[in-house]
Amino acid sequence: MAEIHLSNAEATVETIGPAPRAAGKLWIARMCSIVVVLGGWEILGRRVSPVFLSPPSAIFKAGVVMARSGELWGALSTSLETLVIGFVTASVVGIVLGLLIGRYKTFDAATDWLINALYAMPMVAIIPLVILWFGLGEEAKLFIVGILTVFPVLINTAAGVRNVPQSLIDVSTAFAANERQVFTKIILPSAVPYMMTGLRLGIGRAIIGMVVAEFFTAITGLGAVIVKYGNQYDTASMFVPLLVLMLLGILLTYGVRRLEEMFAPWKEVD
Amino acid sequence: MTETVQKLEVRRVTKSFRIRGRANAQDRTQDRVLNVLADVSFQVRQGELVSIIGESGCGKTTLLRIIQGLVHLDSGAILVDGVQVTKPGRDRGFVFQHASLLPWRTARKNVEFGLELQGVAAAERTRRAEKLLELVGLAEAAEQYPHQLSGGMQQRIGLARALAIDPAILLMDEPFSALDAQTREVLQKELVRIHDETAKTTLFVTHDLDEAIYLSDRVVVMAAGPGRVKEIIDIPFAHPRPELPELRADARFHEIRGAMAGLIRNATAATSVKVR
Repeated sequence: MAEIHLSNAEATVETIGPAPRAAGKLWIARMCSIVVVLGGWEILGRRVSPVFLSPPSAIFKAGVVMARSGELWGALSTSLETLVIGFVTASVVGIVLGLLIGRYKTFDAATDWLINALYAMPMVAIIPLVILWFGLGEEAKLFIVGILTVFPVLINTAAGVRNVPQSLIDVSTAFAANERQVFTKIILPSAVPYMMTGLRLGIGRAIIGMVVAEFFTAITGLGAVIVKYGNQYDTASMFVPLLVLMLLGILLTYGVRRLEEMFAPWKEVD
Repeated sequence: MTETVQKLEVRRVTKSFRIRGRANAQDRTQDRVLNVLADVSFQVRQGELVSIIGESGCGKTTLLRIIQGLVHLDSGAILVDGVQVTKPGRDRGFVFQHASLLPWRTARKNVEFGLELQGVAAAERTRRAEKLLELVGLAEAAEQYPHQLSGGMQQRIGLARALAIDPAILLMDEPFSALDAQTREVLQKELVRIHDETAKTTLFVTHDLDEAIYLSDRVVVMAAGPGRVKEIIDIPFAHPRPELPELRADARFHEIRGAMAGLIRNATAATSVKVR
């Protein structure tokens, strides 16, 4: 991981490089650690009060009940709707703005102070303002998810446009490419891996935004399930949406990685 | 009408770079002027392979980039087929020092790049790319990405890409300098073969004496500070060229090599970077 500074505020931009290869040995180590953690949790969970820590077996049972009653699926689909609409819209906005900012210095100068200021601010702090503006409904949630997603996408896209190797620009100049061809055939494809990194960082933040929004605006979705069972001291049931969120994070990040392989196959090094 | 056609003419080319003084970006009085090229002239005939050789800093790469149109000249002119050129164009194909392939394109798509910019139809592009990949001996690597290819193979693709637009002149900027010795020898041999096959007028920049003698019909020896033509040497060996080890056994090879080394050394000794 390397950090690239966008003027003052720090923005994380991951180094584009080879993915570590998983060998069989590493998988054994991973499996062992899963068994140890789950086993330890089970033993510990059975010893302490179920209010503090429920053992995995109890969480599993609670999960089955919630899945059968349909409560889990209803909450999940509500949450996913907010997440997907917010993430996709913010990604499109982030990529478009990132391309403009990376390409045009005037655009960069006109916006960098605002981007730095907003990116540096903890977004939870503006929730009261968001509620004032949008109320407690879906718009407020989408705004919160969007504003968290947009910056990593925008900043990485802009970095991708700026980091196009001069040697490749030279190639297009030498072959007499016009301005539009330089953009579509050199700059855009060259920035794709950075965009994908931005999306991958963005999806994690989008999930955070979704849960925060569900806690602090109208209580809905998986966030509502957590609040409800937390209030009832039903810790086992409360763990179910937590695990679903983890799983969601893993699955979506994996999905973006696959997208990366699809759109940036040259990044693979073997 | 003269019998030999001048394909490329470099006419009294002068170039200097302004180097910023460090103290203050606004204050131009601190700036230094570095004279890179002073009054450089020579010609390349149709079908000829001419090398430019000289120590680093003699402006040979800058000159090649000026001919391509990547760098503007201060005064003088570049003429291709008697017509002055000032911008990059389809009449010149450039092979870069580090192949500089587009990493998101397969070998074939890289070769097609120049044709694509010109708006050549897909089927025709593919047909020509495949023909050129065959010429450089990489027909079976067509669908590979650059990172899957060795340095030597990448440079072959770079050559095929430049040839694909069927330029009047091929410009090569130390294309083999980053390769290991064996690969370099293989590619030098390949270039001789390809040049014999295509008879493409070629201007080749190098700092390797053996390479210059082996490949060229004539060698332009440049001196630095500011960059200028020291001498132009005719290489007497016939085509098709005997291989390099064979050439090295020839007494004339050593004679030319010694003379060229002397010219370069003596040019270097007299050099002091002129700063105005």
